[in-house]
Amino acid sequence: MKLPLIASALGIILLAFGCIILLPAALAGIENEYFEVFAFACGSVCSFALGALCRWYGRSSRNFDVLRRSEGLLIVTLTWIITAAIGALPYLFFGLHPLDAYFESMSGFTTTGATILKDFSLYPKSFFFWRSLTQWLGGMGIIVLFVAVLPQLGVAGRQIFFAEAPGPSEEKITPRIAHTAKALWLIYLLLTCLQILLMTLAGMPVFDAVCNSLTTMAAGGFSPHPESIMGYGNPTITWIVSLFMLLAGTNFALQYKFFIKGKIRSLFSNDEFRFYLAVITVFSLLLCFFLYTRQGSMFSDSLRNSVFQIISILTTTGFSSADFALWAVPAQALLFAMMLIGGCAGSAGGGIKVVRILFTGKFLKREIDQIVHPRAVLPIKLGGVTVHNDVQRQMISFMLFYIVLMIFSALIVTMIEHDAAVGLAGTAATIGNVGPGFGEIGPMGSFGFLHPATKIIFIVDMLVGRLELIPFLAMFCPDFWSFDKNSR
Amino acid sequence: MDILIYGTTEMSYLVASRLHQQHNITILHDPGELSDKISNLDVRIVAGSGGDIAVLEQIEASKADLFIASSAHDEANIVACWTIKKIADTETICFIGKASLYKNLSSPIHSRYQSRYDIDSIIWPEQLLTQEIFRIISVPEALDVEYLAGGKAKLFEYRIKEGSSMIDRSIMDCKIPKDILIPGITREGKLFIPDGSTTIRLNDKVFFIGLGPALDSLAADFFKHEKKVKSVSIIGGGSVGYMLAEKLERTNKKIKIIEQNPERCEFLANSLQNTLVLQGNGTDLELLDSESIAAADVCICTTDNDEKNLLCSLLIKQLGSKRTLTRVGNTQNYELFEHVGIDVVVSPTASALTEVLNRIQMREVHVLALIEGGKGEVLRLTIPDTFKELQLKDLKLSAHAIIGVILRGHKVLIPNGKTYLLPKDRLKIFTMKEDSDKIKEFFFQ
Repeated sequence: MKLPLIASALGIILLAFGCIILLPAALAGIENEYFEVFAFACGSVCSFALGALCRWYGRSSRNFDVLRRSEGLLIVTLTWIITAAIGALPYLFFGLHPLDAYFESMSGFTTTGATILKDFSLYPKSFFFWRSLTQWLGGMGIIVLFVAVLPQLGVAGRQIFFAEAPGPSEEKITPRIAHTAKALWLIYLLLTCLQILLMTLAGMPVFDAVCNSLTTMAAGGFSPHPESIMGYGNPTITWIVSLFMLLAGTNFALQYKFFIKGKIRSLFSNDEFRFYLAVITVFSLLLCFFLYTRQGSMFSDSLRNSVFQIISILTTTGFSSADFALWAVPAQALLFAMMLIGGCAGSAGGGIKVVRILFTGKFLKREIDQIVHPRAVLPIKLGGVTVHNDVQRQMISFMLFYIVLMIFSALIVTMIEHDAAVGLAGTAATIGNVGPGFGEIGPMGSFGFLHPATKIIFIVDMLVGRLELIPFLAMFCPDFWSFDKNSR
Repeated sequence: MDILIYGTTEMSYLVASRLHQQHNITILHDPGELSDKISNLDVRIVAGSGGDIAVLEQIEASKADLFIASSAHDEANIVACWTIKKIADTETICFIGKASLYKNLSSPIHSRYQSRYDIDSIIWPEQLLTQEIFRIISVPEALDVEYLAGGKAKLFEYRIKEGSSMIDRSIMDCKIPKDILIPGITREGKLFIPDGSTTIRLNDKVFFIGLGPALDSLAADFFKHEKKVKSVSIIGGGSVGYMLAEKLERTNKKIKIIEQNPERCEFLANSLQNTLVLQGNGTDLELLDSESIAAADVCICTTDNDEKNLLCSLLIKQLGSKRTLTRVGNTQNYELFEHVGIDVVVSPTASALTEVLNRIQMREVHVLALIEGGKGEVLRLTIPDTFKELQLKDLKLSAHAIIGVILRGHKVLIPNGKTYLLPKDRLKIFTMKEDSDKIKEFFFQ
């Protein structure tokens, strides 16, 4: 591993990131809040300074064509850790504890949407805008953004592009990775703009529409309103948000083919997407049934809330149109099941991913079939194409790692908090990048009351969940850390 | 007619041996050894490549009416067909043995592109065989099925089993539904054309020709028809097994396929959607038993090895299969297979031969189907304008034959003795192979 090379790549990314932090500063400037301008400018300067330092350290390595896989993984992980840290700097100026600030920032970039804020009235607009913007950046992936806009990364872009989102399929919709990244961001940007427009037409204030749209498309879940989408009390808005959450949880490469290239059938002939829709339909109806019979709410409310909540939790957005922490246990259990599934591969959603769940189902079915027909040759097919053995192994080990990590994290948190609900739901909500859990960390609650150790565990959970375990796990291999001493 | 055949495969031999007495045949073959079988035929034999214009010019290929490329190499066949098209506009028939090439040449895809493949007909014997098997198994209980007149009339073959009310009765007494004729019976391996007084015996294989609904009521009256084919077992996952499974999948049947080669198994499992692919030997009794292969409504043995097919079918019969279809590669084995009690024997060469003969026959006469491995034929022929109209009972045919179907305008008639024959009627005539020329002569004197 060549440190200068990594530093050099990080340097480019940090310099670019410094520019992005100027956006909320500009907003604060328009509002004439000079203290806020200072807060964000400070973050920006830190980013520039650190970036310049890295560039200086890595001045000897400007050629990224020789980037190795492990170096790519480290660049991606460091990018997420450092950008989250720099993104947390402005929060410090608004009186947040450093750990809380980092939690909030990490929750933002990883599109988790878990918040430590207890009282929303204390903070200005630019604060909420930055919160939403971090989610929007993290939704499509910071690395994807930089691969799209920074030509310097060149060939290395490919390496780090797939290190950031190591989904089961390496899907490139254009031959060149930078073009793919641009195409993905294009569809992401267009959908966000469309949502802002629709929400404004539906009667939401423009600032709220922008903030909520940024976090909807990112499957994030931060809202400037303390009561999330429920706080707007507008059924039309609830349905609009449902629709865009649904899109946020769908593979963007597919959406690119669907919306831009006009290949209508590509979306509905996709096994994962069909399964995704089936899950939403079935569970929404089930939840609707529970709400209608047990909670005694009106049918239209039950239907709207159940569809919204199922999509919100399944896509790991974490918005709430009702306080589901108060719902009956069966309803909560349904939502908890959704937390474990997550969005489609290649979407903004986190979690295990629909395709892996679908695959695991087929894998288990094959094991049963094989008992009955020991001599049968039974391939596992997704979309009519056989899943290669290597990919099968990867997916199954991913499931195992995910479950093992979840169990450990849940146990430790339960011990710290003396509360199994917080331990289990909190872990599922953070490692799956969902956001709110149940009980005191529910949609109307806050993570702010938790023990600092719990917060640290959740921060790690969020990062590991967002990077889909692989970069994190690779770091436990001793050989990962073998540095080239002579490379300078 | 002058026919030029390229290649010395089994197929070339069969075509040549069928045609060498009526047509002038030249066999062109790549230099090398020539089997005695072919040299004993009354044909001209020339050594040389089918793709060599000089050779073709030398043998005056441009005067040939038909060119059949049936050498062992697909590519050589294609090139030969193209080469002769350069010289003259001869009709070409090209034999193909690879799926990808066949798809290229025959599917509508190629006409999308700038230049077409300039070949008149493509024959892939295994594909024809697949179609034939598919046709046969889509009618339960029937041993053989041929569609005539676009499917309006059909030819079914049934075996008379114990307990049938037809046994030991003459055809006149059988109360066969209207619009059905019995044009042929196979008894102890011999095909003959019956008349009204012929008695039906146990284990006869009887042909019925008639309209669809009438045949359905026949099946309901005399043969158990209510069972539809729901499950199929296929032994051998070669081209035929694969294509058949693919075709059957579309009709929602439950399919099991046994294939020995693990790599081929992978391919089958990957390409087929709902078929259960089993890796193993088709002659492995334990496998056949544990997967209850014989319990399927139809079992089909389609490996490319005759011995294996025979053994397999016998094992499956032993395990209680209701209906077995077996592929035979070497036409000489045909009778042996029938003799040991396999219900239906099919062969790619026979399917291909029918196809070739179909195109060769004079414009007015076509062979629609070959019956019992070529012993019988269903001819298609149009009555010439010079023909005087008369009642069927007054028709004095010079050989045994039965007029099964008459097509008049858009009407489909199953004739009886009082039916009139009119000029321009299109007839489907069931006859013995050796009599088919006499029948043609009779109508076209």
